[in-house]
Amino acid sequence: MLCNECGKNEANVHFTQIINGKKTESHLCDECAKKNQSFSNFSMENLFSAMLNNTFGGSTTYLPTKSCPNCGMTYEQFRSVGKFGCSGCIDTFKPKLLPAIKNIQGYNSHVGKIPKRAGGNYKLQKDLERLKSELKQMIDQEEYEKAAELRDKIRELENK
Amino acid sequence: MVNGKDIVITSRIRLARNLKNYKFPIKMSSEESNNIISNTNEAMNHSGLKFKLIYMKDLSELDKNVLIEKHLISPALAENKHGGAILLSEDNKISIMINEEDHLRIQIIGTGMCLKECWEVANKVDDVLEEYLDYAFDKELGYITSCPTNIGTGMRASVMLHLPALSISNQTEKLLYGVSQLGVAVRGVYGEGTKSMGYLYQVSNQGTLGASEQTLIEKIEQIVWQIVDKEKRVREHMLKNNIDELEDEIYRAYGILTNARTIITDEAMKLLSYLKLGKEMDLIGKVKDKDLYELMVKIQPNSLLSTIDKDMTVKERDRKRAELIRNELLG
Repeated sequence: MLCNECGKNEANVHFTQIINGKKTESHLCDECAKKNQSFSNFSMENLFSAMLNNTFGGSTTYLPTKSCPNCGMTYEQFRSVGKFGCSGCIDTFKPKLLPAIKNIQGYNSHVGKIPKRAGGNYKLQKDLERLKSELKQMIDQEEYEKAAELRDKIRELENK
Repeated sequence: MVNGKDIVITSRIRLARNLKNYKFPIKMSSEESNNIISNTNEAMNHSGLKFKLIYMKDLSELDKNVLIEKHLISPALAENKHGGAILLSEDNKISIMINEEDHLRIQIIGTGMCLKECWEVANKVDDVLEEYLDYAFDKELGYITSCPTNIGTGMRASVMLHLPALSISNQTEKLLYGVSQLGVAVRGVYGEGTKSMGYLYQVSNQGTLGASEQTLIEKIEQIVWQIVDKEKRVREHMLKNNIDELEDEIYRAYGILTNARTIITDEAMKLLSYLKLGKEMDLIGKVKDKDLYELMVKIQPNSLLSTIDKDMTVKERDRKRAELIRNELLG
């Protein structure tokens, strides 16, 4: 297939756009695709910043109060690029960030892997919580041998 | 006959990780990016595995594009000419992209459905790195990533599927829309959106927060097996009801691929996809021992260019592509 735009090169970028239910398809070559803004504008980040704007009712209703002390990024900047400047941005923007993250991820708390060093005591705490709930379950099920094993493990962790 | 292994081509686990004391790639200095590269390289020396460190600044545009077509690096990493690098294991199965959107992106690729195995490897590599590097981690939000869409586990589990029967029978759009309602993203591997070149699709988890790595992986596996099951059923239906048309399409594809003197990527991908379908349904014996997926990667524009030293025009490239396909299929 030849490029819709220049009609010279092979089309290798295929783009489908749906606006208000109206579907338009474009087939372009690399060069024409680069020139076409609607391609370069589409990305996950833009999608996210659009959602952020939605969450807070657009850019006019919210005035930024502080910027990240570590990298200097303001909330306004973060909202327009959809990316943090450093890990410190999380602490700076957290109160405003949590509902937005819940909006896009569906959740706002982590339940996966906890790193050994960076997780520190938190990993131990979470492990204990998990073992204690397993212990309760084993006792309820009258699996006393397994319960005893778990109890020993809990003691071992608590004495660490 | 048709088994899931033919339909599931590759599995991939990607973990996004960042370091606490450095600004993220969009804000950092070249000194900082070099520090991260050398610290990561040093940390991986403790893994007992051999890795090659490749700087983006040392690669030509062509070299980078070949790595992109092989899914070893992302276009975003290739663009970071000054601070980007990759650590690549000898068998190309483990790669660590440095200073892409995040400081580190650990990526494990395997053949067939092997998300769990890939996760085990990724988890170990991650543990080695964490021993020597200070990760950015938040008790509430998990691993901190540059973009909030990756926060939490930082994990993207994806599976590449070959779905010719569903595509030919116009059922992909409906199916893919359906699974997207389950928190799973589907996109064409080559080309854009649901119109995939060569009927290759990538299925991956959309959310990265609020579920453990194991749960996310199990969910993707379940959905993938359901899609595979649908693809198999359409194939069986075709065997029963449309065998003549199907056989004709497959032999026509073989005829064109083994005779064409010039061919564009789009057409070649479609015909190779038919041929792969025919091979898996035992309708054509001539390509029994050919790796047709590998050929699909080889005929991509940049991979093709990399096999010859000189620059080629688009016309020359299409001739070269046709020649390569003839040699591979008839040789």
